[in-house]
Amino acid sequence: MTTDDAALGQPLVLVVDDEPPITRALSAALAARGYKADVASTGQQALDQTALRDPAAVILDLGLPDLDGIEVLRRIRSWSNVPVIVLTAEGAEDRKVAALDDGADDYVTKPFSTPELLARLRVALRHRTKARDGGAGDEPVLVVGDLSIDMPRRIVEVDGRRLELTPKEFGFLALLARHPGKVLTHRMILQEVWGPDYGTESEYLRVYASQLRKKLAEDPAQPRLVTEPGVGYRLIDRDTPTG
Amino acid sequence: MDPGSRRQQRTLGLLAGLALVGLGTLVLLPGRDSVTVATPALVLVVPGIVAGLVGGRLAGVLTAAVAALSLDVAFIEPYGRPTVHLVDDVVALTAFGAVALTVATLVAQANDRRRAAEQRAQEVLRLSEEKARIERDQHRLSTEKIALEQAEDARRALLRSVSHDLRTPLAAIRAITSDLRAGASYDAATRDELLDVVGDEAERLDRLVANLLSLSRIEAGALEPELQAVDLAELLDDRVRRLSRVLRDVRVETTLPVGLPLVDADYTLLDQVVTNLLENAARHAPRHSVIHIDAREAGDLMEISVSDEGDGVPPSQREWIFEPFRSGEASRSSGIGLAICKAIVEAHGGTIRVADTHPEARRPGPPPPPAVVAAEPATGTGANGLHVPLPAAGPAVPAAPSGRPGSRFTFTLPIHRVRPDVARPEVTA
Repeated sequence: MTTDDAALGQPLVLVVDDEPPITRALSAALAARGYKADVASTGQQALDQTALRDPAAVILDLGLPDLDGIEVLRRIRSWSNVPVIVLTAEGAEDRKVAALDDGADDYVTKPFSTPELLARLRVALRHRTKARDGGAGDEPVLVVGDLSIDMPRRIVEVDGRRLELTPKEFGFLALLARHPGKVLTHRMILQEVWGPDYGTESEYLRVYASQLRKKLAEDPAQPRLVTEPGVGYRLIDRDTPTG
Repeated sequence: MDPGSRRQQRTLGLLAGLALVGLGTLVLLPGRDSVTVATPALVLVVPGIVAGLVGGRLAGVLTAAVAALSLDVAFIEPYGRPTVHLVDDVVALTAFGAVALTVATLVAQANDRRRAAEQRAQEVLRLSEEKARIERDQHRLSTEKIALEQAEDARRALLRSVSHDLRTPLAAIRAITSDLRAGASYDAATRDELLDVVGDEAERLDRLVANLLSLSRIEAGALEPELQAVDLAELLDDRVRRLSRVLRDVRVETTLPVGLPLVDADYTLLDQVVTNLLENAARHAPRHSVIHIDAREAGDLMEISVSDEGDGVPPSQREWIFEPFRSGEASRSSGIGLAICKAIVEAHGGTIRVADTHPEARRPGPPPPPAVVAAEPATGTGANGLHVPLPAAGPAVPAAPSGRPGSRFTFTLPIHRVRPDVARPEVTA
């Protein structure tokens, strides 16, 4: 259990899945880490409980018997910024992208490892805390591990070493650094950095990501800038405890 | 019209024209001194018209020229020479020539147009036939396309449901093992519960794999039951005990008449039918409800039923519920279990069907007074097509506490008939 979780007391996590074995496993794992767990087995229940119980986070399976999971997500997003982590089946890249574009904070592919899901959950919860405490992205200097980005002066340093970045490289890296640990879809990055007319040119991002990795002198075995194939990119915060 | 036949036509027209010129000349020649030049002139216009009609413009013009020459030589003095003396005759000959040429040309032109029109009409006909053929092809192709798309949809549904059914237990197992591996601290009760989930899910995978193997045998046409005499009571008892985890939220009541005969069945396959029906019932039964198993003789067949107190199967779904990969929308199953039941039961020469346990629950308004239990022919072998109500000894059909219709799956199997001469020594031994 991290200090963030402790600061929130016992955060309530709503688990939405129609498979009792999964909800039982997740409820137990959450309870063992000091969360309270609520379970919903349909999309309608998920909407009702999100509205009534105001959970700190929602773990939402996209394959529900009554409503499409993405529809549930959209409806939640119409009134709530609660962190949502979606569970998807393997090979459904388009569903992941759709969920992220519609406001999911992260996704985990079934079958998933519980420690990994919990790590994603902690990242999502920390984002919400940060956003509530003063708004993410407003800080003049972003620090992610040994990487620091001075936004007003547009200076990027790794371990005290200054990097020369092009404006687009800077924008790409700064965008990811504003959301450490969170996956951003190709569309989100392109529209934010390249402009609203872009969205499908994921090959640009491939090229820029590889240039950035070179400049960051990434260890290929443990990259900071992680490619999520078919979905997008995320910047790993090494200080985030995983597992 | 192709050039060869056109030339033929022209030759034919020319020959016909010349023949008519010759004929007309010969016929009129004996009386040439008793008629004016107008008579042969009128007669000799005709060959040009005929030649023009048959052979076209060139044949018409040539014939008209020959007719003019023939008129001059044979009917205008001095006879026998192509010369003219009288002014009258010059005028007559010139007028004849002009008329014959013009008429032959006009006739030929009209004929050409008619032919062209006919050709166009034929072309239009041919094109419309071609169009109809193409439309037929298109229709056939689109029908084939729909069939292919349906096959593709079925294949996708198969993959989706099988991968979902395989993945769900795996996901639970992986979630729990990865969690325990990471050293999550649980109290003993939670730890046991999680290990139970792992065990249950492993068993669920095992059942699913058994079903998939049967399905592949069925699809390969290799499902051949190895018949033996099976004691239903023993099989049901054993299966219910093994499924105790699946059935832990419900109560199973088995009602078998005393002295129930043995059935002819493949033990493993029959076990799979019972497993699938019980698992299906457990999936749809409310907590703490009763799943009822009963069996009774119906002629040469044994009727075995598994009833639950769930929401039942709507009549519209009863047609296809036994087809593979067609489970109800809200159902959490791959939909192969019931298809396998059907294939296995039919391989034994039996039938399977589903009905409401309490049909009155489906109708709005107060329930009707109790009537004779369903009057549905068992398999056609039943004596009078009526079910004999079960003996009053057992509560054959449980009461529906929730007012749900419930589903009642009934299948038939051949009863093991012991031939007295063979069986007697065995029994006494």
